[in-house]
Amino acid sequence: MSSASSTSAQPEVVVSGVGLAVPGVTFPDELLGAVREGGFDPHTGLTGREMRHKDRASRLALRAAEPALRDAGLHDGKAFTGDGDTTAVVVSSNFGILDSVCAFADVIARDTVKGLSPLGLPQTSSNVIAGSVAMRHGLRGPSITLCNGPTSGLDAVYWARGLIASGRAETAVVIGVEPSGDAVTKLLGEPVFDGAAALVLEARDRGARPRAVVGAGAYARGADPSAAVAAALGSRSPGAVGLWLPGEDACGAPGGGPAFDLTARLGRCSGALGVLQCAAAVAYFDRRANEDTAVLASAGGPADDAAAALLLTAP
Amino acid sequence: MTWDITGMGAVASIGGTPQEIFAALCAGRSGLAGLRAFDTEKYRARQAYEIDDRARPGTDEPGRATRWLRQAVAQALTDAGLPHDLADVPVLVGTTLQEQRSAELWWRQGSRLAPSDLHFGTALRAAFGATRTYTFANACAASLYALAMATDLIEVGAADTVVVAGTDAIGESAFGTLDRVQNDVPDALRPFDRSHKGMLMGEGAVAVVVRRAPAEPAPGRRVHARVRAVGINCDAHHPTAPDPDGITRVVRDAHRRAGVAPGDIDLVMLHGSGTPKNDTTEAGVLARVFAAGPGGGDGSGPLMTAVKSMTGHTLGGSGLLSLVVAALALRQGTVPPVLGLTDPVEEAAGLRLVQDTAATADLGLAQIDAFGFGGINAAAIVEAVR
Repeated sequence: MSSASSTSAQPEVVVSGVGLAVPGVTFPDELLGAVREGGFDPHTGLTGREMRHKDRASRLALRAAEPALRDAGLHDGKAFTGDGDTTAVVVSSNFGILDSVCAFADVIARDTVKGLSPLGLPQTSSNVIAGSVAMRHGLRGPSITLCNGPTSGLDAVYWARGLIASGRAETAVVIGVEPSGDAVTKLLGEPVFDGAAALVLEARDRGARPRAVVGAGAYARGADPSAAVAAALGSRSPGAVGLWLPGEDACGAPGGGPAFDLTARLGRCSGALGVLQCAAAVAYFDRRANEDTAVLASAGGPADDAAAALLLTAP
Repeated sequence: MTWDITGMGAVASIGGTPQEIFAALCAGRSGLAGLRAFDTEKYRARQAYEIDDRARPGTDEPGRATRWLRQAVAQALTDAGLPHDLADVPVLVGTTLQEQRSAELWWRQGSRLAPSDLHFGTALRAAFGATRTYTFANACAASLYALAMATDLIEVGAADTVVVAGTDAIGESAFGTLDRVQNDVPDALRPFDRSHKGMLMGEGAVAVVVRRAPAEPAPGRRVHARVRAVGINCDAHHPTAPDPDGITRVVRDAHRRAGVAPGDIDLVMLHGSGTPKNDTTEAGVLARVFAAGPGGGDGSGPLMTAVKSMTGHTLGGSGLLSLVVAALALRQGTVPPVLGLTDPVEEAAGLRLVQDTAATADLGLAQIDAFGFGGINAAAIVEAVR
């Protein structure tokens, strides 16, 4: 068990934008129970010229990334307006291309490789999603894809923060996405959340409105869920946590405070969960201007290879 | 800041340790063989650089990428003189296909698969007690990307020791789709030769122990090589084809971070995947980068080689495997040849590609290239330790 600590002066990293492609949802506060009509519909929302030949995970990710960039003031509705050379893309997805891989194996068995579409080549590598987002918006900084199990979404936020802290990027687009499909459903024994969430992370000094703070040492990954939570809390008391967003098996309660289980409505979120938790945290802080509060997100349990926890604090 | 490589491990078609692999490369011995595990009737390409370790020849089995990863990490820890206990040591694994082959065998043939088998942290926890584990699916730049992240972790004080690894086993869907797409059917991977017909996949895993360089000289601490810098970026240009601008930027970024000029580099471990597009793009970029330095263009630039000519394209681990070979080359002053290279492509005409037999030279600094699908690029600079 160890949390990432800082030894040198690092920029303060904040969340400055949120975008969602979540069925039935438009804005992040709906993740926490706000109700509106309409919302994203994957049947109609994943079409269009720019979606042609793209895998489902890339389509969902693109639908979430653009509103996140707009929310952060980095997209004017036509194009990305930030600095592409210093903007990173970090994606978390455990099952992003699983259905493509299984489908291609079926085609080979039936028709030999001659039956395959050449357009499927990018979908044989899990980083197709990050590549699609980078290409759409001209994001030429580091491009990282995590396929890291139940903690993967929180891990992605941690590494995105690290890219900014190390100076490799000034801005990072973080996306958690899990597309539905027959192979994923068979593997999990139930359908997976069919959607995506995106965040924009950046150093506070650009002047964008900060919506949440991802501090140095605010993340930990380790064998014991409670120890991961304690490490992420650091010197803060559990009472400072205004809201706990548990993972799929609800391990690592920080204290007696209120908890909100995102998966009760969304189902199995897997690699998307950590990013959805951060999106919900932003909605929580948005409703509580000037309150000094914190949101704890946790994922993974005793049956997993590790648990992770991330503490987000009010801007 | 610099980082010490204190342990190395590797398995590939041509050897089961870094030393075996290096010896095979210097002897010009290739791992090329007929495709062993798939029904060859279904494919145009029928050759690969596989590890021949299946329990029943001709019958594929799940979990091979994970098995080699465990082997490579264990070798690297032993080599570094460290216990096989990684409870507080981050392990960063770069991979192109993860355990995709295990997923195919589950889907097609009903072998067992759990969701937790798809990321490597599960096996690393069981074998080494590791919990700060990360599986980066960063295509064929993955293991050098992981090395970059490891150097960052040490630099910000989040760790003093990090294990960096890469692993991949050939999968049907990836091998088949590449086979479908390539115009020609390669019978071998021949980087930079006019006869190159494309990429053929290889198998293997690699691991290194990366440690903070001690503030004071540490007598008795064996260091294979010193990492000076790793640059990483993305082309944001094409889903699968390389982009000269992105590759130029990453090479220059690596030089800038390392504080070196092109003229300081003695050896380049090329990505050299053997596709006409890669070879002409990479050679063209390097010809321009190294022409700018002192001695450029007059035949005194760095020596260059491409290990994929004998290991095949080992995908996610290929960049780190090139780095391990570079460390051994720097120490021994020997550079393996590019197997099968007799008539270089026009773009490589001014490059000092090692041909026919291993070259001997006094080497101080090496550059390692790794490029992947999604337009992602990495370049590392390592220094000899004497």
